[in-house]
Amino acid sequence: MNLASNLRKVAAFFWRDFAIARGYRGALLLETIEALFGVATFYYLSRFVQSPELSSELPAGANYFAFALVGFAFFDYLSVSLSAFDASLEEARQNRTLEALLVTQTPLPIILAGSAVYPFVALAVRTCVYLAWGVLLFGFAPRSANWLGAVAILLASILAFAGLGILSAGYSILFKRGNPAKWIVLGLSGLLGGMMYPVSVLPAPLQVLARLIPVTYSLEGMRGALLAGAGWRELFPSIAALLLFAMILIPLSFAVFAWALRRTKITGTLTHI
Amino acid sequence: MPAPAISVDLLEKYFPPALTGWRALIQPLARPTEMALAGVSFTVEQGESVALIGSNGAGKSTLLRILATLIVPTHGHATLGGFDVEREAAEARRQFGYHTGGDEGFYSRLSARQNLLFFAAMNNLSPAESRKRIASMAESVGIQDDDLDRQVRTFSTGMMHRLGLARALLHSPVILLLDEPTRSLDPLAASDLRRLLRDDLVRARGTTLLFASHTLSEVEEIADRVVLLDAGRVIACDSPRGLCASTNTSAFAAAVSSLVRHSESAEATP
Repeated sequence: MNLASNLRKVAAFFWRDFAIARGYRGALLLETIEALFGVATFYYLSRFVQSPELSSELPAGANYFAFALVGFAFFDYLSVSLSAFDASLEEARQNRTLEALLVTQTPLPIILAGSAVYPFVALAVRTCVYLAWGVLLFGFAPRSANWLGAVAILLASILAFAGLGILSAGYSILFKRGNPAKWIVLGLSGLLGGMMYPVSVLPAPLQVLARLIPVTYSLEGMRGALLAGAGWRELFPSIAALLLFAMILIPLSFAVFAWALRRTKITGTLTHI
Repeated sequence: MPAPAISVDLLEKYFPPALTGWRALIQPLARPTEMALAGVSFTVEQGESVALIGSNGAGKSTLLRILATLIVPTHGHATLGGFDVEREAAEARRQFGYHTGGDEGFYSRLSARQNLLFFAAMNNLSPAESRKRIASMAESVGIQDDDLDRQVRTFSTGMMHRLGLARALLHSPVILLLDEPTRSLDPLAASDLRRLLRDDLVRARGTTLLFASHTLSEVEEIADRVVLLDAGRVIACDSPRGLCASTNTSAFAAAVSSLVRHSESAEATP
Protein backbone atom coordinates (compact mmCIF):
# COMPACT_ATOMS: atom_id res chain seq x y z
CA MET A 1 0.00 0.00 0.00
CA ASN A 2 1.48 3.32 -1.00
CA LEU A 3 2.23 6.20 1.31
CA ALA A 4 -0.25 8.60 -0.35
CA SER A 5 -3.12 6.19 0.14
CA ASN A 6 -2.22 5.64 3.80
CA LEU A 7 -1.92 9.38 4.40
CA ARG A 8 -5.35 9.86 2.80
CA LYS A 9 -6.74 7.28 5.19
CA VAL A 10 -5.13 8.95 8.20
CA ALA A 11 -6.62 12.25 7.02
CA ALA A 12 -10.04 10.56 6.71
CA PHE A 13 -9.77 9.46 10.33
CA PHE A 14 -8.92 13.02 11.36
CA TRP A 15 -11.89 14.52 9.51
CA ARG A 16 -14.20 11.83 10.88
CA ASP A 17 -13.20 12.64 14.46
CA PHE A 18 -13.23 16.37 13.82
CA ALA A 19 -16.74 16.18 12.35
CA ILE A 20 -17.94 14.18 15.35
CA ALA A 21 -16.28 16.57 17.85
CA ARG A 22 -17.82 19.55 16.03
CA GLY A 23 -21.19 18.07 16.87
CA TYR A 24 -20.40 18.64 20.54
CA ARG A 25 -19.48 22.35 20.51
CA GLY A 26 -20.53 22.81 24.14
CA ALA A 27 -17.90 20.30 25.23
CA LEU A 28 -15.19 22.23 23.37
CA LEU A 29 -16.18 25.45 25.14
CA LEU A 30 -16.22 23.72 28.53
CA GLU A 31 -12.74 22.28 27.94
CA THR A 32 -11.41 25.78 27.27
CA ILE A 33 -12.91 27.01 30.53
CA GLU A 34 -11.66 23.91 32.37
CA ALA A 35 -8.14 24.74 31.17
CA LEU A 36 -8.50 28.17 32.75
CA PHE A 37 -9.39 26.57 36.10
CA GLY A 38 -6.36 24.29 35.86
CA VAL A 39 -3.97 27.14 35.06
CA ALA A 40 -5.45 29.36 37.81
CA THR A 41 -5.01 26.53 40.35
CA PHE A 42 -1.32 26.23 39.49
CA TYR A 43 -0.88 29.99 39.67
CA TYR A 44 -2.26 30.27 43.18
CA LEU A 45 -0.46 27.10 44.27
CA SER A 46 2.80 28.59 42.98
CA ARG A 47 2.24 31.77 45.01
CA PHE A 48 1.83 29.62 48.09
CA VAL A 49 4.83 27.34 47.57
CA GLN A 50 7.32 29.90 46.20
CA SER A 51 10.46 29.71 48.30
CA PRO A 52 14.23 30.36 47.81
CA GLU A 53 14.93 26.61 48.37
CA LEU A 54 12.51 25.60 45.66
CA SER A 55 13.71 28.26 43.25
CA SER A 56 17.25 26.92 43.43
CA GLU A 57 15.97 23.54 42.16
CA LEU A 58 14.14 24.99 39.16
CA PRO A 59 15.64 25.53 35.70
CA ALA A 60 17.39 28.89 35.28
CA GLY A 61 14.94 31.74 34.80
CA ALA A 62 11.84 29.72 35.75
CA ASN A 63 9.42 30.32 38.58
CA TYR A 64 7.28 27.55 40.05
CA PHE A 65 4.18 28.58 38.14
CA ALA A 66 5.95 28.29 34.78
CA PHE A 67 7.55 25.03 35.89
CA ALA A 68 4.24 23.47 36.95
CA LEU A 69 2.32 24.84 33.97
CA VAL A 70 4.71 23.22 31.48
CA GLY A 71 4.74 20.01 33.50
CA PHE A 72 0.96 19.86 33.69
CA ALA A 73 0.37 20.79 30.05
CA PHE A 74 2.89 18.35 28.59
CA PHE A 75 2.26 15.44 30.95
CA ASP A 76 -1.05 15.18 29.11
CA TYR A 77 0.85 13.90 26.06
CA LEU A 78 1.72 10.80 28.04
CA SER A 79 -1.88 10.37 29.23
CA VAL A 80 -3.27 10.81 25.72
CA SER A 81 -0.65 8.50 24.19
CA LEU A 82 -1.52 5.81 26.66
CA SER A 83 -5.24 6.09 26.09
CA ALA A 84 -5.65 7.22 22.47
CA PHE A 85 -4.97 3.86 20.85
CA ASP A 86 -6.98 1.64 23.15
CA ALA A 87 -9.72 4.27 23.49
CA SER A 88 -10.16 4.22 19.71
CA LEU A 89 -10.48 0.43 19.77
CA GLU A 90 -12.88 0.57 22.69
CA GLU A 91 -15.03 3.19 20.99
CA ALA A 92 -15.10 1.19 17.76
CA ARG A 93 -16.16 -1.89 19.70
CA GLN A 94 -18.86 0.06 21.52
CA ASN A 95 -20.37 1.70 18.43
CA ARG A 96 -19.91 -1.54 16.45
CA THR A 97 -17.77 0.01 13.77
CA LEU A 98 -14.75 -2.18 14.47
CA GLU A 99 -15.91 -5.07 12.29
CA ALA A 100 -16.85 -2.66 9.52
CA LEU A 101 -13.38 -1.15 9.71
CA LEU A 102 -11.57 -4.47 9.88
CA VAL A 103 -13.12 -5.78 6.67
CA THR A 104 -11.93 -2.73 4.72
CA GLN A 105 -8.62 -2.62 2.91
CA THR A 106 -7.02 -0.73 5.79
CA PRO A 107 -4.63 -2.63 8.03
CA LEU A 108 -5.04 -2.34 11.78
CA PRO A 109 -1.82 -0.34 12.34
CA ILE A 110 -3.23 2.39 10.06
CA ILE A 111 -6.58 2.21 11.87
CA LEU A 112 -4.74 2.67 15.17
CA ALA A 113 -2.50 5.46 13.91
CA GLY A 114 -5.39 7.22 12.18
CA SER A 115 -7.55 7.06 15.27
CA ALA A 116 -4.80 8.67 17.36
CA VAL A 117 -4.31 11.69 15.09
CA TYR A 118 -7.29 13.72 16.24
CA PRO A 119 -6.62 13.21 19.98
CA PHE A 120 -3.04 14.45 19.46
CA VAL A 121 -4.13 17.46 17.40
CA ALA A 122 -6.82 18.28 19.96
CA LEU A 123 -4.22 17.96 22.69
CA ALA A 124 -1.88 20.32 20.86
CA VAL A 125 -4.72 22.86 20.73
CA ARG A 126 -5.44 22.28 24.41
CA THR A 127 -1.76 22.78 25.28
CA CYS A 128 -1.81 26.08 23.39
CA VAL A 129 -4.94 27.07 25.33
CA TYR A 130 -3.20 26.28 28.63
CA LEU A 131 -0.14 28.30 27.68
CA ALA A 132 -2.29 31.13 26.30
CA TRP A 133 -4.23 31.39 29.57
CA GLY A 134 -0.92 31.45 31.41
CA VAL A 135 0.43 34.23 29.19
CA LEU A 136 -2.77 36.30 29.11
CA LEU A 137 -3.78 36.19 32.76
CA PHE A 138 -0.97 34.91 34.96
CA GLY A 139 2.30 36.37 33.71
CA PHE A 140 3.73 33.25 32.05
CA ALA A 141 6.33 34.73 29.68
CA PRO A 142 8.34 32.25 27.59
CA ARG A 143 10.34 35.12 26.01
CA SER A 144 13.57 33.27 25.46
CA ALA A 145 11.91 29.98 24.39
CA ASN A 146 13.55 27.77 21.77
CA TRP A 147 10.31 26.93 19.97
CA LEU A 148 11.89 24.66 17.37
CA GLY A 149 13.63 22.79 20.14
CA ALA A 150 10.30 22.43 21.95
CA VAL A 151 8.70 20.98 18.80
CA ALA A 152 11.59 18.51 18.44
CA ILE A 153 11.19 17.41 22.06
CA LEU A 154 7.44 17.10 21.55
CA LEU A 155 7.77 14.92 18.42
CA ALA A 156 10.40 12.69 20.05
CA SER A 157 8.14 12.42 23.12
CA ILE A 158 5.12 11.43 21.03
CA LEU A 159 7.16 8.69 19.34
CA ALA A 160 8.37 7.34 22.67
CA PHE A 161 4.94 7.57 24.29
CA ALA A 162 3.23 6.03 21.23
CA GLY A 163 5.19 2.82 21.87
CA LEU A 164 3.68 2.70 25.35
CA GLY A 165 0.26 3.51 23.91
CA ILE A 166 0.39 0.65 21.39
CA LEU A 167 1.49 -1.74 24.16
CA SER A 168 -1.51 -0.54 26.12
CA ALA A 169 -3.77 -1.16 23.10
CA GLY A 170 -2.35 -4.69 22.86
CA TYR A 171 -3.43 -5.29 26.44
CA SER A 172 -6.80 -3.75 25.72
CA ILE A 173 -7.68 -5.97 22.76
CA LEU A 174 -6.74 -9.04 24.77
CA PHE A 175 -8.37 -8.23 28.11
CA LYS A 176 -10.93 -5.58 27.04
CA ARG A 177 -11.15 -3.66 30.32
CA GLY A 178 -8.99 -2.45 33.14
CA ASN A 179 -5.46 -1.79 32.09
CA PRO A 180 -3.08 -2.06 35.01
CA ALA A 181 -0.06 -1.37 32.79
CA LYS A 182 -1.54 1.99 31.81
CA TRP A 183 -2.19 3.05 35.37
CA ILE A 184 1.21 1.83 36.56
CA VAL A 185 2.98 3.81 33.83
CA LEU A 186 0.88 6.90 34.51
CA GLY A 187 1.25 6.58 38.29
CA LEU A 188 5.01 6.05 38.17
CA SER A 189 5.45 8.81 35.61
CA GLY A 190 3.40 11.22 37.73
CA LEU A 191 5.41 10.35 40.81
CA LEU A 192 8.87 10.19 39.29
CA GLY A 193 8.75 12.11 36.03
CA GLY A 194 8.91 15.62 37.45
CA MET A 195 5.46 16.88 36.55
CA MET A 196 4.89 18.94 39.72
CA TYR A 197 8.38 19.06 41.22
CA PRO A 198 11.93 18.65 39.94
CA VAL A 199 13.31 15.12 39.84
CA SER A 200 16.25 16.41 41.89
CA VAL A 201 14.09 16.64 45.04
CA LEU A 202 13.48 12.88 44.98
CA PRO A 203 15.60 10.47 47.04
CA ALA A 204 18.60 9.16 45.10
CA PRO A 205 17.16 5.66 44.34
CA LEU A 206 13.98 7.20 42.94
CA GLN A 207 16.06 9.58 40.82
CA VAL A 208 17.69 6.51 39.25
CA LEU A 209 14.24 5.04 38.56
CA ALA A 210 13.13 8.37 37.08
CA ARG A 211 15.88 8.01 34.45
CA LEU A 212 14.19 4.82 33.23
CA ILE A 213 10.93 6.47 32.17
CA PRO A 214 10.56 8.62 29.05
CA VAL A 215 8.43 11.38 30.54
CA THR A 216 11.37 12.53 32.70
CA TYR A 217 13.38 13.38 29.57
CA SER A 218 10.33 14.85 27.89
CA LEU A 219 9.56 17.31 30.70
CA GLU A 220 13.21 18.18 31.27
CA GLY A 221 13.69 18.91 27.60
CA MET A 222 10.44 20.83 27.28
CA ARG A 223 11.21 23.02 30.29
CA GLY A 224 14.73 23.56 29.01
CA ALA A 225 13.42 24.64 25.61
CA LEU A 226 10.48 26.75 26.79
CA LEU A 227 11.69 28.22 30.07
CA ALA A 228 15.47 28.38 29.81
CA GLY A 229 15.75 28.79 26.03
CA ALA A 230 18.15 25.83 25.90
CA GLY A 231 20.03 25.33 22.63
CA TRP A 232 20.24 22.14 20.58
CA ARG A 233 23.42 21.03 22.36
CA GLU A 234 21.67 21.19 25.74
CA LEU A 235 18.53 19.52 24.40
CA PHE A 236 20.41 16.71 22.68
CA PRO A 237 20.55 14.33 25.70
CA SER A 238 16.77 14.56 26.18
CA ILE A 239 16.04 14.10 22.45
CA ALA A 240 18.50 11.20 22.18
CA ALA A 241 17.04 9.46 25.24
CA LEU A 242 13.48 9.84 23.90
CA LEU A 243 14.47 8.50 20.48
CA LEU A 244 16.20 5.56 22.15
CA PHE A 245 12.99 4.80 24.04
CA ALA A 246 11.07 5.04 20.74
CA MET A 247 13.52 2.72 18.95
CA ILE A 248 13.00 0.09 21.65
CA LEU A 249 9.32 0.58 22.40
CA ILE A 250 7.82 0.95 18.92
CA PRO A 251 9.08 -2.35 17.40
CA LEU A 252 8.38 -4.10 20.71
CA SER A 253 4.87 -2.69 20.90
CA PHE A 254 4.07 -3.65 17.28
CA ALA A 255 5.30 -7.20 17.91
CA VAL A 256 3.21 -7.47 21.09
CA PHE A 257 0.20 -5.94 19.34
CA ALA A 258 0.49 -8.31 16.37
CA TRP A 259 0.62 -11.26 18.75
CA ALA A 260 -2.38 -9.98 20.73
CA LEU A 261 -4.33 -9.42 17.51
CA ARG A 262 -3.57 -12.94 16.33
CA ARG A 263 -4.74 -14.34 19.67
CA THR A 264 -8.06 -12.48 19.44
CA LYS A 265 -8.59 -13.77 15.91
CA ILE A 266 -8.04 -17.28 17.27
CA THR A 267 -10.34 -16.80 20.26
CA GLY A 268 -12.88 -14.82 18.23
CA THR A 269 -12.98 -12.04 20.82
CA LEU A 270 -11.66 -9.12 18.78
CA THR A 271 -14.98 -7.36 18.67
CA HIS A 272 -16.20 -8.43 22.10
CA ILE A 273 -16.96 -5.67 24.57
CA MET B 1 -13.91 -23.78 -16.23
CA PRO B 2 -13.24 -20.64 -14.15
CA ALA B 3 -11.93 -21.02 -10.62
CA PRO B 4 -14.60 -20.88 -7.91
CA ALA B 5 -15.20 -17.47 -6.35
CA ILE B 6 -15.27 -19.02 -2.88
CA SER B 7 -13.59 -22.22 -1.89
CA VAL B 8 -13.89 -23.71 1.59
CA ASP B 9 -11.77 -26.76 2.23
CA LEU B 10 -12.04 -28.90 5.38
CA LEU B 11 -12.49 -25.82 7.51
CA GLU B 12 -12.43 -26.35 11.26
CA LYS B 13 -12.88 -23.78 13.97
CA TYR B 14 -12.59 -24.30 17.70
CA PHE B 15 -13.10 -21.55 20.29
CA PRO B 16 -11.78 -21.56 23.83
CA PRO B 17 -14.41 -22.18 26.52
CA ALA B 18 -15.58 -19.04 28.34
CA LEU B 19 -13.66 -18.88 31.62
CA THR B 20 -15.08 -17.15 34.64
CA GLY B 21 -13.76 -15.77 37.94
CA TRP B 22 -9.99 -15.49 38.29
CA ARG B 23 -9.52 -17.95 35.43
CA ALA B 24 -10.90 -15.28 33.11
CA LEU B 25 -7.47 -13.63 33.40
CA ILE B 26 -5.99 -16.41 31.28
CA GLN B 27 -8.90 -16.39 28.79
CA PRO B 28 -6.78 -14.98 25.92
CA LEU B 29 -4.36 -17.89 26.35
CA ALA B 30 -6.99 -20.61 26.82
CA ARG B 31 -6.84 -23.61 24.49
CA PRO B 32 -9.59 -23.67 21.86
CA THR B 33 -11.61 -26.79 22.59
CA GLU B 34 -15.21 -25.86 21.74
CA MET B 35 -16.03 -26.98 18.22
CA ALA B 36 -17.87 -24.50 15.96
CA LEU B 37 -17.00 -25.90 12.52
CA ALA B 38 -15.93 -29.47 11.87
CA GLY B 39 -14.41 -29.94 8.44
CA VAL B 40 -16.69 -27.81 6.29
CA SER B 41 -16.05 -27.98 2.55
CA PHE B 42 -17.91 -26.43 -0.38
CA THR B 43 -17.37 -24.07 -3.29
CA VAL B 44 -19.34 -21.17 -4.69
CA GLU B 45 -18.97 -20.48 -8.41
CA GLN B 46 -18.61 -16.99 -9.83
CA GLY B 47 -21.96 -15.25 -10.12
CA GLU B 48 -23.68 -17.90 -8.02
CA SER B 49 -25.93 -17.19 -5.07
CA VAL B 50 -25.54 -19.61 -2.18
CA ALA B 51 -27.38 -19.60 1.13
CA LEU B 52 -26.03 -20.88 4.43
CA ILE B 53 -28.84 -22.25 6.53
CA GLY B 54 -29.03 -24.10 9.82
CA SER B 55 -30.22 -23.65 13.36
CA ASN B 56 -28.68 -21.17 15.81
CA GLY B 57 -25.14 -22.25 16.62
CA ALA B 58 -24.81 -24.33 13.46
CA GLY B 59 -21.73 -22.33 12.43
CA LYS B 60 -23.10 -19.96 9.76
CA SER B 61 -21.83 -16.72 11.27
CA THR B 62 -18.51 -18.29 12.26
CA LEU B 63 -18.01 -19.41 8.68
CA LEU B 64 -18.85 -15.97 7.31
CA ARG B 65 -16.54 -14.29 9.85
CA ILE B 66 -13.67 -16.57 8.80
CA LEU B 67 -14.29 -15.69 5.15
CA ALA B 68 -14.45 -12.00 6.12
CA THR B 69 -10.98 -12.39 7.74
CA LEU B 70 -12.33 -11.40 11.17
CA ILE B 71 -11.29 -14.67 12.77
CA VAL B 72 -8.82 -17.35 11.71
CA PRO B 73 -9.64 -21.03 11.21
CA THR B 74 -8.13 -23.66 13.47
CA HIS B 75 -7.53 -26.01 10.55
CA GLY B 76 -8.31 -26.08 6.85
CA HIS B 77 -8.33 -23.35 4.24
CA ALA B 78 -10.69 -20.93 2.57
CA THR B 79 -10.09 -18.72 -0.43
CA LEU B 80 -11.95 -15.76 -1.88
CA GLY B 81 -11.15 -15.03 -5.52
CA GLY B 82 -8.20 -17.38 -5.16
CA PHE B 83 -6.72 -15.59 -2.12
CA ASP B 84 -6.31 -17.45 1.14
CA VAL B 85 -8.29 -15.64 3.84
CA GLU B 86 -5.61 -16.28 6.44
CA ARG B 87 -2.31 -15.97 4.60
CA GLU B 88 -3.42 -13.40 2.01
CA ALA B 89 -6.01 -11.56 4.06
CA ALA B 90 -5.31 -8.13 2.56
CA GLU B 91 -5.81 -9.40 -1.00
CA ALA B 92 -8.87 -11.39 0.05
CA ARG B 93 -10.43 -8.23 1.54
CA ARG B 94 -10.35 -6.57 -1.89
CA GLN B 95 -12.62 -9.29 -3.21
CA PHE B 96 -15.59 -9.03 -0.89
CA GLY B 97 -18.11 -6.75 0.73
CA TYR B 98 -19.47 -7.82 4.13
CA HIS B 99 -22.64 -6.80 5.85
CA THR B 100 -24.45 -8.21 8.84
CA GLY B 101 -28.10 -7.53 9.45
CA GLY B 102 -27.56 -7.30 13.19
CA ASP B 103 -24.93 -4.60 13.42
CA GLU B 104 -25.35 -0.99 12.47
CA GLY B 105 -21.68 -0.10 12.68
CA PHE B 106 -21.96 3.54 11.66
CA TYR B 107 -20.97 6.83 13.26
CA SER B 108 -24.36 8.03 14.38
CA ARG B 109 -23.44 11.73 14.58
CA LEU B 110 -22.19 11.78 11.00
CA SER B 111 -24.41 11.91 7.95
CA ALA B 112 -24.82 8.87 5.74
CA ARG B 113 -22.66 10.57 3.11
CA GLN B 114 -19.89 11.34 5.62
CA ASN B 115 -19.98 7.73 6.79
CA LEU B 116 -19.79 6.38 3.26
CA LEU B 117 -16.99 8.80 2.32
CA PHE B 118 -15.00 7.61 5.32
CA PHE B 119 -15.45 3.92 4.52
CA ALA B 120 -14.73 4.58 0.84
CA ALA B 121 -11.39 6.11 1.84
CA MET B 122 -10.71 3.00 3.93
CA ASN B 123 -11.24 0.99 0.74
CA ASN B 124 -8.71 3.02 -1.23
CA LEU B 125 -11.23 5.01 -3.28
CA SER B 126 -10.20 8.55 -4.18
CA PRO B 127 -12.56 11.35 -3.06
CA ALA B 128 -13.82 11.86 -6.64
CA GLU B 129 -14.41 8.14 -7.17
CA SER B 130 -16.05 7.92 -3.77
CA ARG B 131 -18.61 10.63 -4.56
CA LYS B 132 -19.54 8.93 -7.83
CA ARG B 133 -19.81 5.50 -6.23
CA ILE B 134 -21.83 6.83 -3.29
CA ALA B 135 -24.35 8.46 -5.61
CA SER B 136 -24.70 5.32 -7.70
CA MET B 137 -24.82 2.91 -4.73
CA ALA B 138 -27.35 5.04 -2.87
CA GLU B 139 -29.59 4.96 -5.90
CA SER B 140 -29.14 1.20 -6.29
CA VAL B 141 -30.11 0.45 -2.69
CA GLY B 142 -32.93 2.98 -2.66
CA ILE B 143 -31.52 5.82 -0.55
CA GLN B 144 -32.62 9.27 -1.73
CA ASP B 145 -29.93 11.90 -2.26
CA ASP B 146 -31.47 14.10 0.47
CA ASP B 147 -31.30 11.23 2.95
CA LEU B 148 -27.58 10.92 2.38
CA ASP B 149 -27.12 14.22 4.20
CA ARG B 150 -29.12 13.18 7.25
CA GLN B 151 -27.37 12.04 10.41
CA VAL B 152 -27.38 8.27 10.59
CA ARG B 153 -28.95 8.33 14.05
CA THR B 154 -32.19 9.50 12.41
CA PHE B 155 -32.36 6.47 10.11
CA SER B 156 -34.89 3.66 10.46
CA THR B 157 -33.72 0.05 10.67
CA GLY B 158 -34.56 -0.47 7.02
CA MET B 159 -32.58 2.59 5.94
CA MET B 160 -29.67 1.43 8.07
CA HIS B 161 -29.70 -1.93 6.28
CA ARG B 162 -29.68 -0.21 2.93
CA LEU B 163 -26.81 1.96 4.05
CA GLY B 164 -24.91 -1.10 5.28
CA LEU B 165 -25.39 -2.74 1.93
CA ALA B 166 -24.29 0.41 0.10
CA ARG B 167 -21.13 0.44 2.22
CA ALA B 168 -20.43 -3.22 1.46
CA LEU B 169 -20.76 -2.51 -2.28
CA LEU B 170 -18.77 0.76 -2.40
CA HIS B 171 -15.54 -0.74 -3.70
CA SER B 172 -17.34 -2.89 -6.31
CA PRO B 173 -16.53 -6.26 -4.72
CA VAL B 174 -17.00 -9.39 -6.82
CA ILE B 175 -18.21 -11.31 -3.76
CA LEU B 176 -20.83 -10.29 -1.24
CA LEU B 177 -20.95 -11.93 2.20
CA LEU B 178 -24.16 -11.23 4.09
CA ASP B 179 -25.17 -12.44 7.53
CA GLU B 180 -28.95 -12.38 7.87
CA PRO B 181 -29.37 -9.41 5.56
CA THR B 182 -33.11 -9.00 6.17
CA ARG B 183 -33.09 -9.48 9.94
CA SER B 184 -35.50 -7.08 11.69
CA LEU B 185 -36.76 -5.61 8.41
CA ASP B 186 -40.46 -5.21 7.78
CA PRO B 187 -41.86 -7.52 5.04
CA LEU B 188 -41.92 -4.79 2.40
CA ALA B 189 -38.36 -3.65 3.05
CA ALA B 190 -37.20 -7.27 3.16
CA SER B 191 -38.86 -7.94 -0.17
CA ASP B 192 -37.18 -4.87 -1.72
CA LEU B 193 -33.81 -5.97 -0.42
CA ARG B 194 -34.27 -9.50 -1.75
CA ARG B 195 -35.17 -8.11 -5.16
CA LEU B 196 -32.10 -5.92 -5.11
CA LEU B 197 -29.84 -8.84 -4.21
CA ARG B 198 -31.32 -11.27 -6.74
CA ASP B 199 -32.04 -9.03 -9.72
CA ASP B 200 -29.51 -6.21 -9.51
CA LEU B 201 -26.52 -7.75 -7.86
CA VAL B 202 -26.49 -11.43 -8.76
CA ARG B 203 -28.32 -11.52 -12.08
CA ALA B 204 -27.45 -8.12 -13.60
CA ARG B 205 -23.95 -7.58 -12.21
CA GLY B 206 -22.81 -11.17 -11.72
CA THR B 207 -21.84 -10.62 -8.09
CA THR B 208 -21.20 -13.83 -6.18
CA LEU B 209 -23.43 -13.97 -3.12
CA LEU B 210 -22.99 -16.06 0.02
CA PHE B 211 -25.53 -15.27 2.68
CA ALA B 212 -26.76 -16.74 5.95
CA SER B 213 -30.47 -16.72 6.61
CA HIS B 214 -33.14 -18.21 8.83
CA THR B 215 -35.93 -17.28 6.42
CA LEU B 216 -36.48 -20.25 4.14
CA SER B 217 -38.77 -18.40 1.73
CA GLU B 218 -35.98 -15.86 1.25
CA VAL B 219 -33.50 -18.66 0.60
CA GLU B 220 -35.79 -20.21 -2.00
CA GLU B 221 -36.22 -16.84 -3.64
CA ILE B 222 -32.57 -15.84 -3.86
CA ALA B 223 -30.35 -18.90 -3.63
CA ASP B 224 -29.18 -21.07 -6.52
CA ARG B 225 -27.83 -23.53 -3.99
CA VAL B 226 -28.08 -24.10 -0.27
CA VAL B 227 -25.42 -25.25 2.20
CA LEU B 228 -27.23 -26.78 5.16
CA LEU B 229 -25.15 -26.76 8.34
CA ASP B 230 -25.84 -28.65 11.51
CA ALA B 231 -23.54 -28.59 14.53
CA GLY B 232 -20.65 -27.29 12.45
CA ARG B 233 -20.99 -29.87 9.67
CA VAL B 234 -22.36 -29.66 6.13
CA ILE B 235 -25.26 -32.09 5.98
CA ALA B 236 -26.50 -31.11 2.53
CA CYS B 237 -25.42 -28.93 -0.36
CA ASP B 238 -27.76 -28.66 -3.31
CA SER B 239 -30.32 -26.42 -4.99
CA PRO B 240 -33.59 -25.94 -3.08
CA ARG B 241 -35.28 -28.09 -5.70
CA GLY B 242 -32.54 -30.72 -5.41
CA LEU B 243 -33.00 -30.87 -1.64
CA CYS B 244 -36.72 -31.38 -2.11
CA ALA B 245 -36.10 -34.14 -4.62
CA SER B 246 -33.57 -35.91 -2.41
CA THR B 247 -36.04 -36.00 0.48
CA ASN B 248 -39.13 -36.76 -1.60
CA THR B 249 -40.89 -33.65 -0.36
CA SER B 250 -42.51 -30.85 -2.27
CA ALA B 251 -41.95 -28.09 0.27
CA PHE B 252 -38.48 -26.69 0.89
CA ALA B 253 -39.10 -26.24 4.64
CA ALA B 254 -40.12 -29.89 4.93
CA ALA B 255 -36.99 -30.95 3.05
CA VAL B 256 -34.74 -28.96 5.39
CA SER B 257 -36.52 -30.28 8.43
CA SER B 258 -36.21 -33.85 7.19
CA LEU B 259 -32.48 -33.48 6.49
CA VAL B 260 -31.80 -32.01 9.94
CA ARG B 261 -33.80 -34.75 11.66
CA HIS B 262 -31.97 -37.39 9.65
CA SER B 263 -28.62 -35.87 10.59
CA GLU B 264 -29.53 -35.74 14.27
CA SER B 265 -30.72 -39.33 14.34
CA ALA B 266 -27.58 -40.46 12.50
CA GLU B 267 -25.47 -38.68 15.14
CA ALA B 268 -27.45 -40.23 17.97
CA THR B 269 -26.97 -43.74 16.57
CA PRO B 270 -23.89 -45.33 18.23
